[in-house]
Amino acid sequence: MRKFFTLVLALLLLTCLLMPAVAGGQKESGKKLSPETEAWLKAAKLGKYAEDTFDEAALYEAAKKEGEVNIYSYSSRVFKFAKTFMAKYPGIKVNGFDIDSGEIVTKVLAEQQAKNYVADVIFLKDPATVVHELYDRGMAFPYVPPDLKDKIPPEYRNPFVGHHASVDTFIYNTSKQSSPPIKSMWDLTKPEWRGRFIVADPQKLPEFLEVFTTIVQHSKEMEAEYEKVFGEKLKLSKGVENAGYEWLYRILKNDVVVVGSSNDVAKAVGLASGDNPPVGFTSFSRLRDKKKNPNLKFQVMFDTTPVMGVATEVIIGIVNQAKHPNAAKLLIHWMLGDEKGGRGYAPYYVLGDFPLRKDVAPPPGAKKITDMNIWASDPKYVWENGQKVLEFWVSNLK
Amino acid sequence: MFRATIRKPHVIISYILLFILLFIVVIPFFRMVWDSFIWHFTDIRLARGVNPGAFTVFHWKRIFHSKLTRNVLIEPLFHSISTALGISILAMTIGGMLAWLVTRTDLPFRKTIGTLAILPYVIPSYIHALAWLTLFKNDRIGGAAGLFQFLTGVSPPNWISYGFLPIVFSMSLHYFPYTYLLLSAALTSIDSRLEESGEILGARRSYILRRITFPLVIPALLSSFILTFSRALGIFGAPYFLGSPVRYFTLSTQIYSNITNRVPAAGYILALVLIAISSTIIYFNQKIIGTRKSFVTIAGKGFRTQLTPLGKVRYPALVLIILLLIIAVLTPIILLVWQTLTLYPDDYSLKHLTLLYWIGRGGTEFAEGEAGILRNGAILKATWNSIKLALTASILSGFFGIFIGYAVVKGRGTKLSKLVEQTSFLPYLVPGIAFGALYLSLFTNRIGPIPALYGTFFLVALVCIAKNLPFTGRAGITSMLQIGSELEEASEIAGARWGRGFLKIILPLSINGAISGFILVFITVMRELSLILLLVTPETRTLTTMTFRYQEQGYTQFSSAISVMIIVIVVIGELATRRLTRKSAI
Repeated sequence: MRKFFTLVLALLLLTCLLMPAVAGGQKESGKKLSPETEAWLKAAKLGKYAEDTFDEAALYEAAKKEGEVNIYSYSSRVFKFAKTFMAKYPGIKVNGFDIDSGEIVTKVLAEQQAKNYVADVIFLKDPATVVHELYDRGMAFPYVPPDLKDKIPPEYRNPFVGHHASVDTFIYNTSKQSSPPIKSMWDLTKPEWRGRFIVADPQKLPEFLEVFTTIVQHSKEMEAEYEKVFGEKLKLSKGVENAGYEWLYRILKNDVVVVGSSNDVAKAVGLASGDNPPVGFTSFSRLRDKKKNPNLKFQVMFDTTPVMGVATEVIIGIVNQAKHPNAAKLLIHWMLGDEKGGRGYAPYYVLGDFPLRKDVAPPPGAKKITDMNIWASDPKYVWENGQKVLEFWVSNLK
Repeated sequence: MFRATIRKPHVIISYILLFILLFIVVIPFFRMVWDSFIWHFTDIRLARGVNPGAFTVFHWKRIFHSKLTRNVLIEPLFHSISTALGISILAMTIGGMLAWLVTRTDLPFRKTIGTLAILPYVIPSYIHALAWLTLFKNDRIGGAAGLFQFLTGVSPPNWISYGFLPIVFSMSLHYFPYTYLLLSAALTSIDSRLEESGEILGARRSYILRRITFPLVIPALLSSFILTFSRALGIFGAPYFLGSPVRYFTLSTQIYSNITNRVPAAGYILALVLIAISSTIIYFNQKIIGTRKSFVTIAGKGFRTQLTPLGKVRYPALVLIILLLIIAVLTPIILLVWQTLTLYPDDYSLKHLTLLYWIGRGGTEFAEGEAGILRNGAILKATWNSIKLALTASILSGFFGIFIGYAVVKGRGTKLSKLVEQTSFLPYLVPGIAFGALYLSLFTNRIGPIPALYGTFFLVALVCIAKNLPFTGRAGITSMLQIGSELEEASEIAGARWGRGFLKIILPLSINGAISGFILVFITVMRELSLILLLVTPETRTLTTMTFRYQEQGYTQFSSAISVMIIVIVVIGELATRRLTRKSAI
């Protein structure tokens, strides 16, 4: 026993001696950018060195010299616009990686810390996190193509350029039902919907945390809606702050089913057979899945009250020390499409994804985002309250 | 006298090894403890007054004493332990019965069965979980049900589809070869003369079994139970896929989600809890069985073992075992292959089968335009990464093991030798996902002159090498024990320098013994998931992590197709081992 202790002690001592070399502190230099970053910004012509004009030919030449570009995308449609980009600009290889938004941030942080720069472009949701955890530390920078500056409203280039707004909404199974089975969000807290409401995991997908946080932000409207549905004032459960949290609490206690992706929600609802199909909350644009799989039968519930859904913004940025900044700029410009939508934007010119350019009409069949009964997520509120909502969710999961 | 000792080659080697081991085994551990006690930048979401790098007990309080404790620590801990118990008991039962039938009875086709029985262990563990899901998925998470519901129209209840039962069942089918190997080694070494004396004295077969055979194997039983339990404690894939639909979490899945949600300190604390439990258990195992017998390699024993005739139950037993092998080996493969051929997810009808996911050209509406896996550049790259990783890890780890063997055996009896041996054993105490977390914690920053290794292939290889050191170290020690020291002394007397003797005599002899170690590590690394999941980046992706990714996002055909590829590679590897060696090592 004593020998064992001596061993442990010896190891401990040794490690203490080596600790300072190993501890590698995380000194934060605040908003000041490091000299390497300044140098890179200057060479890449980003940040305060950004150009005023967009010279496609020159950019293409420079990008061809770089040869390739790596993009971390939250959306698997990256492979589609990568293909069209490579067709339009031969000589530049696009390496697309399909990774969840939260993980993109984690990976960029780790790469920056390790100085192992792989990502050039990041295309993801949850702008609040990107701004506070990456932009504020000089790890990611916005790029607004100069020729598109006046076509994109200022709130969508603040600072990162918004690619589109994605709406998450309620869907229902249409194989046996012809109209939505619920009218209000509060219907989902009733006993008949026990175990029949499917959502995507907010712990895995930050956009759904944005959505839940937005619901909490609008708790006044949720409270008013409760009174309309149940005809009495809402009595908050123990430890619950407001009507928004109460809704989350009740659906958790009502055995809401949590799955790992928006794809799974659409499948869960769309492929349901049987007489009591579930409803789900997922990305509006999953309607596009119906084209590839005729077995999927679901539709969006447009008239849910108090809102039919929540809109979250998808942004694009360029990572600090990116090795292929010119190819990155060209890719971003391609992704933003043209006034008719455009081939680069095409995978997103679908029902459920809303272009943010002033000059682009909504996709056929869609209304303008301003005409829809939705709440838009507020990055500032999400940043300040998101973690609290997440902890509320986790502590009430069982 | 001291100076002479220092100059001895094996002492120098021991010190070098110790230094390296310190870096790849000990320091990551302490770094992780350190990291759990400081603020991290990403904590700015969690609290006010965050000062990155400064000391804090915030994270410990948050895990052990907050609203989150029940769902983040207590319940997952309870689930980890209960599933590990269930798996150990069930796997021991199946493996034990199989071991007895194969080694001590006249079961027909014993040898073949012995070979095939290893196969379920060779397949990555999460594949058994995914196969279960394919079979028993009910309406709860996929209006699209699993095959069972597709064929029978009956929806399995939640407790069959997800949670405790599926995890225990599917993992027992994965782990029974492990217990089978441990127990068959023990059973082979029982001197049958003890049983024969019982027979001579007139005892019945069942009495002999109960009062003679069984007590003789109890230490081995206990040890196997403990080893299986500590293994099962760290499983990740099965609880991740089978547990989350019913919110059944374990410590391993919680470690993963905390780290990927950028609250690394929480993940590290949970990893420390897991390591603490695992180490305590293994410590008890060492007490019971002693270090020499904890890893068992089966080499045929000299004395005769009298086989128990099975009589009437001979063929029924055979049928049962064949059934078991079909369920544990064939069924997952068939299910997965079937699924890869389904055009629409979860539509198993024969008229909708397609080879699209294997050889499709891509650019179609399906799977967001990705090409079929045999045409898919990313997947082919991942295949190469997997093989590269397995080769690198097995070769380097194997050589490391030989040096460890040399240092430990030549210095036998000294404290230094013991230190090297025990330090090389440490990675065994740490479950895969926790070990990956250790390396993430340490190697994301530069250490003195060593650049930060995050994102490099080298880091992934390093963690695989380190994790497999207990096996290769042991294999090295065992094979070195068999090489008499006279051989080396003879070369010294003949005037050769140490290096020459080592290269020309020791190395060739020990490589032979270490081959099974090499191949074992190759197979282990080929199917590794939880160990490397936190460390791979898009550049260093392997087949296993891509399966995980596709499954997570609901692209089940791709994930199943890649799983089938992994199985093919790994089974070929295992059967090739059989050809090359007669031993079956764990």
